[in-house]
This record gives sequence, structure tokens and C-alpha cells, in this order.
Amino acid sequence: MNPRKIQAIARKEFYHLIRDFRSLYLAFFIPLLLILLFGYALSLDVENVKTVVVDHDKSPLSRDFIRKLDASAYFRITKHLPNTEAITKYLDHGWATMALIIPPGWTKDIKADRESPLQILFDGSDPNFAGLSRGYITAFIEDFNRNQLIQFLNRKGMERINPPIEGRIRVWFNEDLESRNFIVPGIIAIIIMIVGAMLTSLVIAREYENGTMETIRSLPIRAGEFLIGKAIPYFFIGLTDVLIAIFMGQVLFGVVMKSSFWLMVLASSIYLGVALSLGLFISVVTKSQLVANQMAILFTYLPSLLLSNFVFPVVNMPIILQKVTYVVPATYFIDILNGLYLRNLGMTHLWPSYLVLNIIFLVLVIMNFVVLKREGL
Amino acid sequence: MIDSVSDVVYVKDLTKRFGRFVAVDSISFSVKKGEIYGFLGPNGAGKSTTIRMLCGIITPSAGYGRVAGYDIFTEAEKIKHAIGYMSQKFSLYEDMTPFENIRFYLGVYDVSSQEWKDRIEWVLEMTHLKDMRNRLTRELPPGWRQRLALGCALIHRPKILFLDEPTSGVDPISRRHFWDFIKHLASEGVTIFVTTHYMDEADNCERIVMINDGKIVTTGPPSVIVRDLFPERPEADLNDAFIKLMARSST
Repeated sequence: MNPRKIQAIARKEFYHLIRDFRSLYLAFFIPLLLILLFGYALSLDVENVKTVVVDHDKSPLSRDFIRKLDASAYFRITKHLPNTEAITKYLDHGWATMALIIPPGWTKDIKADRESPLQILFDGSDPNFAGLSRGYITAFIEDFNRNQLIQFLNRKGMERINPPIEGRIRVWFNEDLESRNFIVPGIIAIIIMIVGAMLTSLVIAREYENGTMETIRSLPIRAGEFLIGKAIPYFFIGLTDVLIAIFMGQVLFGVVMKSSFWLMVLASSIYLGVALSLGLFISVVTKSQLVANQMAILFTYLPSLLLSNFVFPVVNMPIILQKVTYVVPATYFIDILNGLYLRNLGMTHLWPSYLVLNIIFLVLVIMNFVVLKREGL
Repeated sequence: MIDSVSDVVYVKDLTKRFGRFVAVDSISFSVKKGEIYGFLGPNGAGKSTTIRMLCGIITPSAGYGRVAGYDIFTEAEKIKHAIGYMSQKFSLYEDMTPFENIRFYLGVYDVSSQEWKDRIEWVLEMTHLKDMRNRLTRELPPGWRQRLALGCALIHRPKILFLDEPTSGVDPISRRHFWDFIKHLASEGVTIFVTTHYMDEADNCERIVMINDGKIVTTGPPSVIVRDLFPERPEADLNDAFIKLMARSST
């Protein structure tokens, strides 16, 4: 390993980077776009469910029910409709995702202790959204029922009684259950893959396409010097992007990392190493920028997004896919990110994921050495 | 297997196989210090494969060879430091300026930094690229790019210069200048090993080897080869010799 040679290669790579508009765009614009897009647009939270109401009862109680529903953070009454037929139109067009129908004589039935059903319709085309909304409305109705009961008992002069079981629910690590709190850190994993793997997947393929690989082979450059020199500019760009993502997460989305900053830098560096090695490996093997780019999307970007526990929970996947997630580096990085961002964990808890990332990194470096030796470096 | 001290390139029974295809078939020759040595043959004859073996880019399948005193099987890296290599595409980095290209070569050849300034000046002078040092290489005409590639290949003062079809795609005036410069280098003791398929260029060589289908067809000074083949025809030139030899060796 000769530092002067590494420096010469790194500097050359830096010139390629700053003179190639597409690379710069991929290096800085795409990460910014992803942060904004994921941060603002990708929300798995259910709130302000658009609700239309048909109130046939028109009693103080039904109005009270509707008012309380509207006041809750989860539902928003967008329209009062005159009859049940109108609901179809609203659900069909997606103007509302929930419809509430209060039948005639509802209050009277309640007072007379008869069955007093309430019809609620959902647009189930987004099952996740509909499922969560259903949970919220069920809880809302139970709450409403209980209040009614307590009022009734109080009126009858009975002592206020409490139900025998009361669950005191507290959510740890992400108290408000905001999906943003785990999506924003997760974007860092995606950004590192894009900058690390997709950018570097082009760099050796470009040498083959331009015929300069022959020059490289004729020069006294070792595989290690070549790899490190190639990786250095992208390593710093990747790290810069990570810092930008941490900063923007904090300023724009109020997602603050709870644990040590340096543990974060360490984890990002190792994961960046994994991404860079993957990209360079793809580049040497494919020798074509177009193919390399496709491969990089297929083997680095998509698994990081889909098979890493980022947005899609691994526990819900078929067993075979669950096994695949064990070799997806992003799985371990997302685990570390969750630990650092949400749980305020340190090395005592996170070392297994750090270790696995390191092992993956080493394996990839060895693979790179093997293919480059075969290419005559 | 004794190579004489003055032989800077010495090759014995050198063979390269790609799978079942024999690209270079047991060739032997030697090149003396300061000599301009030509390697001639039609496309696909094995010229490039030979030169790439000698430069340590690919490992031979069999045989023996030394370049600048180093074994071509085991000391490829030392050979790469000792020689300069320029291929037909003069593969420079076109999105970099001549200055940046030169600096890249200085770095990878591990030239000590005190010498950088002098070497850069020397190459820019030699290539007449002083005014172009901050233009991108892709904007330069082919002849200029060729000079730059040559300058880069010489930046570490190699003892031997390997040129793989160095003048393809270059205009005749630039070719003339190029050969004048090559002769000047040889006079300073730099050994030149050049492949070409321009017969008029081969006349610049002190000795040549003609190969076809990976085998040596003939070897010797160009004028001797022509005279031996056409004793009755004083007007015959290397072109005639080449065509006659290639036809004979192919059948």
C-alpha cells in the first residue's frame, strides 16, 4: 500500500466525480430529495381520517357523538350527508375513507336498553389504513360507551364505579407512535446505499468502457491501492450525506438522535464500506455502466428498502424471505439506527449488529480482491 | 537460458493460450539496450498479446522471459515500474486536463514529489501542451493526445518504452514528429519496442520480427529481410516482403 499511489487514484476519481453532472446529481440531489420525500410524504400514521356522516337520529346524543368524533385527532368529519345512497358516491371517489350512519331512533333504542347498532363503512383498498382506522373507531366507541355508562350511574345516584381492569398503556422509545421517528433514520440506510453502491457501481465499469482499464493494468497499481483510491471520494461524500440527513432529520422533522454521535459515525462508516465494496464489486463484474446500474438497484437499493425491516416488517414475510433478510446488510444497519435513534442504546446492546456488518464488509473486500486479481491487478 | 547483459528484453519459448486458442506460440527473441525493435504482423497475429505479456499485464502460459532484468512471471510490478507503455488508444482520462493526467501518472509511478515540478515542465515542453495545460484532454486533437500519452508513459524515465500501434489514427506530419522523437529517445539509451502495421514505420526500426498466427515468421534488420526475399528486385520494399511472408506462412 503506497499512500502516494492511493492519493493519485483518489484525486483522479474526484475529478471524474466533479466533472460528471449525473454523478454529482446522484451524490447530492437524490439524497436531499429522498429525505424530503420520505420525511414528508411517507407517513404510515393514521390521523384525520376523512369521514362522512348520515345522521338519521338528529338527537342531542347523536350530535354529541359526532362532535366528539370530529374533535378526536384521528377523525375529521368532512361532510354531513342527507341519505345513505350519497355515501356510495363519496367512498367510490375516495372523497371519504369512512362513513358513519346513525339510524333513526338510535337514542330512543339506547334509552330503552334495546340493541342500538351504528353502521360504519370503510374504504378497504388500503388495508393498512383501514385496519388502523377500524382500531381507532372501535376504541372510540368503547370510550363513548363507558362515559355514557358512568353518566347513567351517576344520575341514578350510584357511586362512581371503575371497571375492574384498566390497562395503563405507555409506549416506550417512540411515545407518540410517530412513524416519522423510524422512517427518518431509515432514510440514512437508503441514502448510503444509493451514494455508496450506485455511484461506485459506475466507476470501474467506466474504466472498462473508456479503455482506461488497460492503462490501469499497465501501471504499477495493486488491487488494494486501486480499491481504496476509488472508494475515498465516495466515502467522504457518503459521510457528508449522512451528516446532512442527521441535520435535516433534526431541523425539519424534529427527529433527534438519542445516543452517541460517534457511534452513529462509526456505524455509518462501516455500512458505507459495505456499500462501496458492493458497488465496486458489481462494477468489476459487469464492466458496463448500464448493467452495473441495474444490478446496483436490484441488489443493493431494493433489498435495503424492502428486506431490511425499514418500512415492511420482516416478521410478516414468508420464512424464506425472512432468511434472506439475514444477508441484507441494511437489516443490521437499520437495527443499529433504531437502537441509536430511538432506544438510546450503546455498544453493550448493539455490538452484534456492528460485528455482523464488519464481517459482511470483510467478505466483500475479499471478493473484490479476488475479482481484481483475476482482472490482472 | 542465459541472457546476455545487454539484452533488456529476453524471451524464450513464450506461449500464451486463451482456453484452447494459442495466441502466441512459443516465440523467442531478444532486444538490446537502446535498440528500436519492431514487431510486425497482421491483426490478430499476437502482437498485442506479446506486448501485454512483456509489460506484466497478463501472465504467460509457458516459456521464460525477462524484461529490464525482471521475471515476467513473478515480478510484474517491478517491470511496470521500469517500463513505459502506451497503447493504440492512448487511453488518457479525457475529462481531465493534460496537467491532471500527468500528475496522475507521477503519483502512480511513485515519483518523489521534489521532482514533480521539473517532470511536469519537461512533459509540457516536450508535448508542446504548455498553453493547453488547463484544457480538457477530450478537446485536444488526436496528434496532441498521442504526444500527451507518450509524455505520461515517459514521466518516470523508464529504461524501456513499449508502444502498441502508437500512431494509429494520427496524421502523417504528427507521425513524422513522433518518430523523430522516438529516435532521439533511443539515442539517449532508451530501448523502444514497437508494434505496428505501417510498413514505412517499420523502416525506422533497427531490427524487426514478423509474426503470424502467433508464430515468428522472420526476424532481422528490415533491409536484410527485403534483400533476402527479393535478391533480383532492388525496388522491392518491406511491404512486398510482408505480403509474401504472410501469404507463405498462412498456407
